[in-house]
Amino acid sequence: MIPSAMVSSTETALESLHHIKSTEPPEWLVPKQELSQAVRAASKLLFSSLKPYCPKSPFDQLLTEGFDVEQIWQQIDLQSQPLLSSLRREVKKFEKHPEEISKLKDGGVGGGEKKKKVLEQIETDNVVNDDEDDDDMDMDEDDDDEEEEDEEGEEEEKERGTEEESENEGEEKGGIEDKFLKIKELQEYLEEDEAREFGLKKKKTKAESKKEEEDTEEEGDDDDEDENEGSEDDDDEAEEEEDELGLFDGNDEEDEDDLENARYEDFFSRKKNKSSKEKAKSRDMLEEDSGSDDEQDVDKRKDGPSKHEKELDKLRSKIEEMEKANLDPKVWTMRGEVTAAQRQKNSALEVDLDFEHNVRPAPVITEEVTASLEDLIKTRISEGLFDDVQKARTSSSKAPREIKELDESKSKKGLAEVYEEEFVQKTDPASALLTFSDELKKEASMLFKKLCLKLDALSHFHFTPKPVVEDMSIQTNVPALAMEEIAPMAVSDAAMLAPEEVFSGKGDIKEEAELTKAERKRRRANKKRKFKAEAAKRMGKKA
Amino acid sequence: MEIETVPSEPKPESNPLPPKPKFEPLKAHEMSDGRVQFRKVSVPPHRYSPLKKYWMDIYTPVYEQMKIDIRMNLKARKVELKTRQDTPDISNLQKCADFVQAFMLGFDVPDAIALLRLDELYVESFEIKDVKTLRGEHLSRAIGRLSGKGGKTKFAIENATKTRIVIADTKIHILGSFANIKIARDSLCSLILGSPAGKVYSKLRQVSARLAERF
Repeated sequence: MIPSAMVSSTETALESLHHIKSTEPPEWLVPKQELSQAVRAASKLLFSSLKPYCPKSPFDQLLTEGFDVEQIWQQIDLQSQPLLSSLRREVKKFEKHPEEISKLKDGGVGGGEKKKKVLEQIETDNVVNDDEDDDDMDMDEDDDDEEEEDEEGEEEEKERGTEEESENEGEEKGGIEDKFLKIKELQEYLEEDEAREFGLKKKKTKAESKKEEEDTEEEGDDDDEDENEGSEDDDDEAEEEEDELGLFDGNDEEDEDDLENARYEDFFSRKKNKSSKEKAKSRDMLEEDSGSDDEQDVDKRKDGPSKHEKELDKLRSKIEEMEKANLDPKVWTMRGEVTAAQRQKNSALEVDLDFEHNVRPAPVITEEVTASLEDLIKTRISEGLFDDVQKARTSSSKAPREIKELDESKSKKGLAEVYEEEFVQKTDPASALLTFSDELKKEASMLFKKLCLKLDALSHFHFTPKPVVEDMSIQTNVPALAMEEIAPMAVSDAAMLAPEEVFSGKGDIKEEAELTKAERKRRRANKKRKFKAEAAKRMGKKA
Repeated sequence: MEIETVPSEPKPESNPLPPKPKFEPLKAHEMSDGRVQFRKVSVPPHRYSPLKKYWMDIYTPVYEQMKIDIRMNLKARKVELKTRQDTPDISNLQKCADFVQAFMLGFDVPDAIALLRLDELYVESFEIKDVKTLRGEHLSRAIGRLSGKGGKTKFAIENATKTRIVIADTKIHILGSFANIKIARDSLCSLILGSPAGKVYSKLRQVSARLAERF
């Protein structure tokens, strides 16, 4: 190309660049021919302007005619990658030695663009990685292309981001090898994990659990995936523990905040609440050289926790233990009443149980005891003093009760006579006549006894004396009130029947209405039994 | 009507009131303005011949001791009673009428005589259907239960409660004092309702024992 033509083209390209900048964003949504032409021209210009700064790029100028969007973008990308890394190095250098910037300034207009770029880079350094990436891409490269191809641009950004992260990790990988402590941490973590697997309880402090997190985060894709998987569960456990104990909340949030607002204290203070990832990231943001100091600081912190901190840790662990013990269910010895089902097998054997025996111990049979017993027996036999149960004899001196029987025959007396008798009995007790049963029965029994006596005398070898006939004293059931009257002398108190002679019943005497169902049944059953017995007797007699 | 008049004194000028007249109690004969009092008792056909048989036993105490005129009106089949002049008390007539009525119901003369002798005796009648509606065989069985074998249940009740009972088909009459009638009635009702005789006996025994103790 002719330089004059180039100059004119640059002018037109600049014009188009300005034009593009001035257009409203919504206009980009609809593809327009003249806009795309302008964009191509502008990108060409930018490309050629950047050419002197990247010696490695294969293209002298951006080839846009007849090329696809993708192809154009690839060209840009090829150029920009090494450029970016070199620029980063420059920025780090300037961070360390700010005086060189002033030198640049003195460099004049020639380095104006360069200076501009450097300044822009410094600005963007203070932003998050992702944003920084975007900014870099926008400011340094072709934001036009990006704006034009929105969706594709986003995808590219993501690719970019991952690429950069992988870059970071690639750097970190090298860093892990450099940093001795990381491997040490890893080993410690592995040991802990093993210990947990075999049932040993380990109380993790903040730092330990944090290290766990760091390790899992870092190991990501690059390191052994097995370890990662194995540690994921533990990490979950750790996180759960953290949640339970509530030692720190919003841990993740902290990390993010710290990432966004990296401060002096984060790097140059002796705080333990740091994830090394943050430090790694921050390190990556700055130049590698500046990061070395931080590494040293980090090393110091991890190596020597102060005595006070150690004691605090111990206390904390103790407290956690005690709290856990309180929350757990008590040992069976501490519970109240415990049955065999509620404690372990044979656990009562291990414990010293103490209880009162309310039973007299069984007597130990010795020779002395047996001898004493035998002596006692001998004396008792010789004396004839046996503790026999003696039968209690009922007193037979009671007068037999008059059992009133129901007369089932037609009464021979007329009703008038019955009432007459009743009346007489009421008024004049002396003239009370004996009942019918008494007279005849008495006579009959007397006769029979005499007869029996004679027959016995004939048949028995041994003499049986005359039976003592107790003279039955007939006592009429005279009403007591009549006794209080003065007139009748014939009847005395002695002749009166005592109440128990009239009726002697044991226990509770209940009327029919007062009986419960069970009692009624019982009475009936007794009656039936008696009746059956009598019937059986009668049958026996008959047969 | 013969009223004994007290000889009245000639009225003095200063006498305020005449003296109170003194009347003797009216005789039975003089009651209802000197007319004779009657009672008529109809004779059921089945009591006709017993009446003829025991006529003298009926007639003698009525006429002699109660001093009531008694006659049989054959045509009307009624026994008529009439006060005499020397009937001491008006209640005699009623007592005689009750006595004859009791005989007509079926009671024996010696039992019915008690009505004449004692004041507090009554006759209560009721029917089996009053207690429980029974038909046919059930009715017959109930009657059989009431009387018992050879009448022993009935006699048992009579002896225990000092009453007299007449069972005439479906009608039952009880003669005795008020309390005794009640007991007898209860026993009979329980028999009608179906309780066995033994149960009634046991109750009777208790009751009679208690009755005997009371005075």
